[in-house]
Amino acid sequence: MSKYVCDVCGWTYDEAAGAPDEGIAPGTKFSDLPNDFVCPVCGVGKDQFSAAQ
Amino acid sequence: MNITQDIQYVGVNDHEIDLFEGQYDVPNGMAYNSYAIIDEKIAIMDTVDARFGEEWLKNIEMALQGRVPDYLVVQHMEPDHSANITTFAKAYPNAKIVSSAKAFVMMKNFFGNDFADRQIVVGEGITLSLGKHELTFVTAPMVHWPEVIVTYDSADKVLFSADGFGKFGALDADEDWACEARRYYIGIVGKYGAQVQALLKKAAGLDIQIICPLHGPILTENLGYYLHLYNTWSSYGVESEGIVIAYTSVYGNTKKAVMRLADLLREKGCPKVTVNDLARCDMAEAVEDAFRYGKLVLATTTYNGEIFPFMREFIHHLTERNFQNRTVAFIENGSWAPMATRVMKGLLEKSKNLIFTEATVRLLSAMNSESEAQLEALADELCKEYK
Repeated sequence: MSKYVCDVCGWTYDEAAGAPDEGIAPGTKFSDLPNDFVCPVCGVGKDQFSAAQ
Repeated sequence: MNITQDIQYVGVNDHEIDLFEGQYDVPNGMAYNSYAIIDEKIAIMDTVDARFGEEWLKNIEMALQGRVPDYLVVQHMEPDHSANITTFAKAYPNAKIVSSAKAFVMMKNFFGNDFADRQIVVGEGITLSLGKHELTFVTAPMVHWPEVIVTYDSADKVLFSADGFGKFGALDADEDWACEARRYYIGIVGKYGAQVQALLKKAAGLDIQIICPLHGPILTENLGYYLHLYNTWSSYGVESEGIVIAYTSVYGNTKKAVMRLADLLREKGCPKVTVNDLARCDMAEAVEDAFRYGKLVLATTTYNGEIFPFMREFIHHLTERNFQNRTVAFIENGSWAPMATRVMKGLLEKSKNLIFTEATVRLLSAMNSESEAQLEALADELCKEYK
């Protein structure tokens, strides 16, 4: 399980935790997030996330 | 205006503006604050709105008395603060532009120029020495834009807080801080409570004696008061006990029920009842009230199988700002198929930690003995804890 950080605002998607508020179940891989997934804080798309160091 | 021996105010007042950020009524105008830190090196903190470039450059010239700035620190890229970066760069061709990496991207997008040959990119904890004054930059992502930095001067213990602790109203307006600061905060920053909380935690580690925001007065006394309010607002806590009734009324029947409820609430000991007619009041004031008080009553008509448009807009303003931790009650009116309560509850479905009252009020066109009894029951439930 990895973490991905929004390049714009720094919000972190943690695969282990998912994003229950956005309807994303714990354990969902970043690559399996729907294509229209957006950062819940600033609204940019998946293409503006980077794997956490 | 001297803020400390080495820090001078070089901002401007705007009494011409009709709507701030294209939507907020500002009866007492706006201030676009900018500061000069005068040391061995000189830094200017942010620019001002596009219409005030000349006045601002004059202010700088007066403050510097023949010297020229070495740096322009850009903390925030919203145009009311960034519009004169190019003006500055032309007036002072040897000065460097200091800002976050994200801000330089925005500069290129706004002005077609990111000043590549004279930029200094700063991030969390990076310092810039002016001599006696050492500036430390602190990132404040999504308070309320992603590129924002705030700046701490350890020599004079000053926090330059960007839009944080800002307020509507020009500096020569004689008015209470909290009212217009709350309307500003809830309206403009309200959605980003979690990010403000993160910034307040970082600020807690600093010895701050003066807060220099980009709008509104410089805060020099009783800083605990302002910090406490910011903590309440950004954690979506209840600032004042009381009940807000927000309503729309087409022919006055819903209004009659609302006025009756307001009387009942006062009779039953509610410490403060505020009533807003959403079609006629300043929407931002009504939104501010909903975030200020602990309880909210929404009263509207069924309209086109939906709800009255001002109520829809109002609820949208609440939900997009993460409205939460409140008690909410509903009054609906409908002449043949009332469904406003169902629609309003649906709009609030995703909001966290809302308690809907058990009592609800349904008007079938106008008040009658049945709805009067429902109003009484609702008032009892809402006022339980005030007795």
